[in-house]
Amino acid sequence: MNAIELQGISKSYRRKHILQNVDLQIQAGTFTVIFGGPGSGKSVLQRLIVGLEKPDSGRVLLRGEDATRVIPSERNIGYIPQSFALYPHYSVFDNIAYPLTLAGSQRDKIRPAVERTAELLKITHLLEKKPDQLSGGEKQRVAIARGIVKNTEIFIFDDPLTGLDFKLREQLFDDFRRLRETLGATFIYTTSDALETLIMADEIAVLAEGRITEHGSTRDVFDHPQHAWTMRSLGFPESTLFEGSLHSAGSGYECHTRLFDFAVDLTSAGQPPAEVVVGIRPQDLSVNESLAPNWLSTPATIILQEDLGGELVLYLEKDSFSFESVLPHRKDHLLNGDDVVVHVDPQKLVIFDPESGFRIGQGRV
Amino acid sequence: MTQGRTRLYHLLLWVIALIFFSPILWIALASFKTKDQILATPPLFVFPPTLANYTDFFSRQNVGEYFVNSFLISIVAVLIAILVSFLASYCFSRFQPRGTSFMMFILLSIRMVPAAATVVPIFLMYSAFSWKDSWPALVLFYAMFSIPFSVWILKGFIDGVSRRYDETALVNGGSRLHVMFKVVLPQVRPGLIAAFIFNLIFVWNEFLVNFIIGGKTTTMIPTALMIGVANNLGTDWTFVATLTTLYILPPIIAIFFFQKYLLVGMTFGTVRGEV
Repeated sequence: MNAIELQGISKSYRRKHILQNVDLQIQAGTFTVIFGGPGSGKSVLQRLIVGLEKPDSGRVLLRGEDATRVIPSERNIGYIPQSFALYPHYSVFDNIAYPLTLAGSQRDKIRPAVERTAELLKITHLLEKKPDQLSGGEKQRVAIARGIVKNTEIFIFDDPLTGLDFKLREQLFDDFRRLRETLGATFIYTTSDALETLIMADEIAVLAEGRITEHGSTRDVFDHPQHAWTMRSLGFPESTLFEGSLHSAGSGYECHTRLFDFAVDLTSAGQPPAEVVVGIRPQDLSVNESLAPNWLSTPATIILQEDLGGELVLYLEKDSFSFESVLPHRKDHLLNGDDVVVHVDPQKLVIFDPESGFRIGQGRV
Repeated sequence: MTQGRTRLYHLLLWVIALIFFSPILWIALASFKTKDQILATPPLFVFPPTLANYTDFFSRQNVGEYFVNSFLISIVAVLIAILVSFLASYCFSRFQPRGTSFMMFILLSIRMVPAAATVVPIFLMYSAFSWKDSWPALVLFYAMFSIPFSVWILKGFIDGVSRRYDETALVNGGSRLHVMFKVVLPQVRPGLIAAFIFNLIFVWNEFLVNFIIGGKTTTMIPTALMIGVANNLGTDWTFVATLTTLYILPPIIAIFFFQKYLLVGMTFGTVRGEV
C-alpha cells in the first residue's frame, strides 16, 4: 500500500516554478530519502505532504485517501522541521509532550509515552532541562523525540542534520536506524547530502529542477543513475562528467571523448544527439592495472594524492582536463607528477543526453 | 584607554548627566521649600525641609482623581493597543498582506505627525460624536496613539521568531490562536514589555489631547498641572513643585527598572540583543 502518493503536483512562488508535475509514490514502511540540491524544492515537497503548503494543481493522497484539502493537524504526520523549533519557554519534557498535550491526551498517558520516546533517543536525563541548556545534538534529539512521540506511522524529516558536526551526525544516523527498526513506520527524509542518503535510504527519490528525475532502491539508483545530476552528486568523490560526441560506426554508434573512445549501447530508439555527456565514477577508474583485456586505457599524470588511510584519492590530469580516481590502498608508491595509465571497464561509462540530462546509454565491451 | 582617560571620561559623563538632571533636582527640592525659599536667589541647597506643601496638596479636592485618571487611562489604553498591535503584527509578519511595508510606513507616519496638526480635526470629531470628556473615548484615542509604535516593535520581535515554531504547532494540531498566544506570544514577551513601557510613558506625558478633548472627569496630571499653575495670587509654585515631583516619580521608577526595554522602543524593535 502507498502511505503517500503525489499526483501531478505543481507549485510556484511568484511565478517561479518550484515543483512541476511531480508524481511520487511512497510505499508504507520504507525509509525514503528525497535527495536534491539546495533549492531543488525538497522542502516544499515535504511541506505539501505535511499540509503547510497547498499545491497549485495535483493531489496529495495519504494512506490511500485524498488529503489535498485536509488541514495539517488532521493529517496525523510526525514532522521534524529543519531548524529545531523547540519552544524555549517549555522544558524538554513539555516540548516532547507537546503534540500529545495538544491532542488532549490525559496526563497519566503522556508521561509514559514521553519517557519511552526519551529512552529511545537516550535523552531521559535531559527531560527537566530547558532547551537553551542543551547542545546542538541534544536539541536535535529532542526535536526528533517531539516528532515521533505522536501515535502515527508517517514521519517526515526535513534535512534534520544540517549544521551539526560530523560526529553528531554519525550518532544520529544510528538513532534514525534504530527508530526505523523500532517504529516500523514510513519515513520521508530530505537531504542534499549524498552520504546521509546512501547510509539511510531504502529508497531514493531524486528531485532536480522541480521534478522527480528517478526513484528506486538505493542500490538501483546508485548503480544505474538515470540522470547526470544523480550520477555526479550521489557518491564520493563526485563522479566526473565530460563531453563526448557520437558517431555512427557500422550498425551502432561510437563515442569519442577526450579520455576514451568506445562503442556504445543506446537504451532508447531513435536518433541520438550528436553531443553527449559521459559520466564515470572515480571508483571505477583503476591506475596501471587492467582487470580485463577489453578495458579501455588512457595516459594521465598524477597531480595530487589524498591518502585516506583505507583508500587513495588520485587527482589526475590529461591534456589539462582533470578528474579523480579512488583506489584501494596499495604498496607501490605513486608520486605526484608520475605518468600513469588509467583503465576502465567500458560498461561503467554512462552516456547522458546533454539537454535533458537523462541517461541514453552506456559503454559496450 | 588608559585608566586616567577612562576616569576623565566617566567624570565628563557624570557632569553631563547632572546638568540634565538639575532641573529635576530643582523641582524636587522645591517641593520641600516654602514659596519664598523657592524664589530665593541664589537658589538654596541647604534649607530646613517642610512637608507642608504635601499636606496642603493632599487636602485639595480632585488631586486623587488626576492620578487615578492618569494611571487608569494610560494603562487601559496601552493594554488595548498592545493586544491590537500584537494581532496586527502577527498578521504583518506571517501573512504579509499586499502592501505590508507601505502600511507599516503609513502607521509610523501617523505617529510622526505633530499633535498640533491633528488636534483640531480630532476636537471637531469628538465634539460631533459628543465624546468630549468621555472616559472610553479618551482611552480609545490613546490606544490609537499607542498602536503605531507597538506594531513596529512587535513586528520586529515576531519576525525574529522562526515560522518553524508556528508550523510545528499547526502540524501537531494547534489552532492559529494557539500559535499566536501560546507559541509566539511567550517568545516575544520582551517586545510586549518594551511596547508597554514605552507607550505608557508616552501617554503618561501627553498633554495636548487631554487638554482639548478631556474635561472635568477625565483630567490627567499634565492638564491638572497646566490649570493649577495659575491661582489668583500669581504662579502657584508650591503646587507646581509638589505635583510635578509626584508626577515624575512613576516614569522614573519605570525607567529605572525597564531601561533596556526603552532602548528597544527607541529603535523600533531593531535593537533586541539586550532583552
